[in-house]
Amino acid sequence: MEWWEKAAEPYRGVTLKVIGQSTAPSIVLRDIAAPEFEKVTGIKVDFEVQPWEVEYEKFIRDVTGNTGIYDAAYIEQDAIYAFMQQKWLTDLTELMEKNPQITDPDLDVNDFTKFIEYFKDSNGHIFGFPFEAFLKMYIYRTDLFNDPEAKEAFKAEYGKDLKPADTWEEYEQNAKFFTEWGKKKGIELYGHTAQAKTGYPAVAYEIVESIWPAMGIYNWGINLEKWRATVENGGQVNSDKAKAALRWYVDMLKYAPPDVKTYTWDEESSSVAAGKVAQGLVYCENLAPLICNPEKSKVAGKVAVTKPPTTPEALADAKAGKGYIGYYDGASYSIPYCSKNKEAAWLFIQWVTRKGWDLEYTRLASRVVRKSTLESPEIKDMDIAQGGYFTAFKEYESLFSGAAPLPMHLVIIDIYMNWISKAVAGEATPEEALDGLAKEIDEAMVKLGY
Amino acid sequence: MKTSFRKQISGWGFLSPALAVIGFIGIFPFVYVVWLSLYEYNVFSLKGWIFTGLGNYLKLILDARFLDSLYKSILFVGVTCGIQIPLGLAFAILLSQQFVGRGVFRTILALPLSMAPVAIGSMWVLITRPAVGPISYWLSTFGITYNISESSVQAFLTTVIMDVWHWTPFVTLTFLAGLTSIPPEPLEAARVDGANAWKTFRYVTFPLLKPIFATILFIRIMDTFRIYDEIWALTSGGPGTATRYVNISLVRTTLAQSDYGYGATMSVFLLYLTVALCTVLLKLISKVRKEYE
Repeated sequence: MEWWEKAAEPYRGVTLKVIGQSTAPSIVLRDIAAPEFEKVTGIKVDFEVQPWEVEYEKFIRDVTGNTGIYDAAYIEQDAIYAFMQQKWLTDLTELMEKNPQITDPDLDVNDFTKFIEYFKDSNGHIFGFPFEAFLKMYIYRTDLFNDPEAKEAFKAEYGKDLKPADTWEEYEQNAKFFTEWGKKKGIELYGHTAQAKTGYPAVAYEIVESIWPAMGIYNWGINLEKWRATVENGGQVNSDKAKAALRWYVDMLKYAPPDVKTYTWDEESSSVAAGKVAQGLVYCENLAPLICNPEKSKVAGKVAVTKPPTTPEALADAKAGKGYIGYYDGASYSIPYCSKNKEAAWLFIQWVTRKGWDLEYTRLASRVVRKSTLESPEIKDMDIAQGGYFTAFKEYESLFSGAAPLPMHLVIIDIYMNWISKAVAGEATPEEALDGLAKEIDEAMVKLGY
Repeated sequence: MKTSFRKQISGWGFLSPALAVIGFIGIFPFVYVVWLSLYEYNVFSLKGWIFTGLGNYLKLILDARFLDSLYKSILFVGVTCGIQIPLGLAFAILLSQQFVGRGVFRTILALPLSMAPVAIGSMWVLITRPAVGPISYWLSTFGITYNISESSVQAFLTTVIMDVWHWTPFVTLTFLAGLTSIPPEPLEAARVDGANAWKTFRYVTFPLLKPIFATILFIRIMDTFRIYDEIWALTSGGPGTATRYVNISLVRTTLAQSDYGYGATMSVFLLYLTVALCTVLLKLISKVRKEYE
C-alpha cells in the first residue's frame, strides 16, 4: 500500500465523482473498493450508481456540455466505439506514458484477458480499463436434467437422451419438454426464459448480441463496409436467416413464464434464481450475487453453465475466427476528456482493476478480467460454486466477441428496439418488422453521414 | 420630468435581477430549443449541424409514428378525464354528506396524491405483474387472462385506471371545496319550491359548480397530456407501441436516439399545441365565470 499512499499524496483531499451502472460489479466497487481506496489514498470518491439509460444520459450530457462533472465513468464495451469517435475519452496509453509516477509498477497490462483489446482504438491505445467482463452463457438446472423420471419421460417422447442443448433444435425440444413437465407435475416450471420486455432495449440486445450471432448473423446484421442493413445494400437485417431467427425467438416465448414480456436482463436472471425455468441464456455477472447465492436463490448448487446452443455454421465460423457465438459483455472505467481530476481518476481506475484485488472481486461479482485470476488455484472453489462458469469461460472465451464496432450504436439500438418490440408484441410479423427495421436503419445511416 | 425618469430607472434597476433570472431560466432555454429545432443535429452524426429551416416541422407533421403517439395521448386524455371528472364529482357529493367514517374515507382517498408518479408506476408494476400481482389472480378466478405485457387493450386500460386512481382524489377535493363554498340560500329555495335531489343538483348545484368544473378540466387535461413517469415505469410504452404516448416518443427521440434537432422540434410543436389548448380552455373558463357572475 506504500506505493499507493505515496503516489496519491499530491491528490489527498480531492473528491472524485464517479458514475457507474447498477450492475453487481459496480455495486461492489461502490460498497467495498471505493471506501478502501479512500482509506489508503485520502482521495474521496463520490460513487453514483445509475440504471443503464440514466448513466448514459448523464455521461453524454456531461461530455457534450464540457461540464467536467465526472472524473471516471462506466463505459460499456459496446458503446466505446461511439465515445472514442467523438473523442470523449482520455487516451490512457498516453496518460500512462506521461505520468509514470502515478502508474502502478505492478499494473501488468499483459495480464488482462483478451477483453482489453475491445477498449483500444485502431492505434492500439487503451481508452478504458475493463473491470467487469462476462459471457452470456447457457445455464441449465442439473437437478432437472439429471432427474431419472424426467430422463425417462424425455426418452419416451423424443427417443433420445435428455441433455443440455448444443443446438437450437435441442434447446427447443428441452424447452417444450420442461414446460409440459411443469404442467404435468403441477409446478411452476418453464423451459425457457428471455429478456423480452417490449419498449425496452434489452429485447433488441438479446436478438443482436445473443440469438443472431449463435444463428450465424453477425454485427447486428449490418454490412460494416457499406454501413447498410438491407439485403439489397449488402446487409442481413431483413435476410431470410434473420427473419427465421426472429420468428423462432417470438415463437419460443410460449415456453417462457407468462410475464416474460416484462423481463429485462435483471428479471431474466431472477426467473432462473426463482427456480421457474429449466434452461436459458443469462448474463453470468448474476451468478455469484444472485443465481448461485444460497441466500437469494432457490437453485444455488443446482445449475451448470456451458456455451450457448448454436447452429453448426455459427460454431464453425466462430472456431475459424469468421464469426462469434455471443457477446463478450462488460465494461471499463474510463476518464471523460473534460474531467478535472484526471490523475486522481487514473489512480482510482488502477485500484479497481489491480491484480491483488481481482480474485476477491471475482468471488464477489463473478466477473473476471485478468489471466492470473483464471489461472489461480482459488478459482476452482468458485468454479464449483458457480456451476463450472470459469471452466466454461476459459474453454469458450475465444468463441465470443466484443460488440460490433458501430459508432452509431446508441442511436440505432432504439430503432432495433422499436421494430423488434413490435414483432414480440404481435403488432407486426417478424418478417414485416425486419423489413421495416432494415429500411429504417439504412435511412438512419444516411442521415448520420454513413 | 427628471424625477419621473429617475423613478423609472430605479424601477427597472430593482426589476433587473428578477428579469435576468426569468430571461435565463425561461426565455433563453425556449429560444435555444426553437433555434435547435431548425437544425438536423444528432450527437453521433458525422455531418454535424445542418440547417434545415422548417424541414423538421414538415417531417413531423408527416411522421406516422409521431402522429400515432399523439393520437394515443389524445385518446388517453379523453378517456381518463372522461372518467376522473364525473367520478371525482360523485365522491365529492358523497363526502359533502354527513356519515360515519367520513374523515377516514377522505384521508384514504387523498393518499395517492402524496405519492411520487414514478412510485405509483412501480407500485402498479407489482400489482399488475402476472403470477405475482393480485389483479391477474382475481381476474383469473373469473376466467379472464390479464397480462399487460401481452394485451395492448389491457395495457391501455391499465394506464387509464392507474391515472384515474392517482388523480381522482384531486378532482374530488377540488369539487368538495367548490361544494362547500356554495351559499345555502339557492339550495334552500329549491327545497322550498319542492325540487327533488336530482333537480336540485341539475338546476342549482351544477350550474354553481361550473367555474370549478372548467378549472378542473383545464388542469387535468394539461396534466394528463404531460404524463410520462408512471407510464415509463409501468409499461415503458409497450407492449410494442400500445402505450407509447407522445412524451415517451419525445424522450426516446431526444435522449435515446440523441436526435436533438428533431427532439427539439417535437418539444416546440407540443408546446404550441398545449398553448393552443390552454387558450381555448381559458376562454371557456372566463366565459363560464362571466355567466356565473
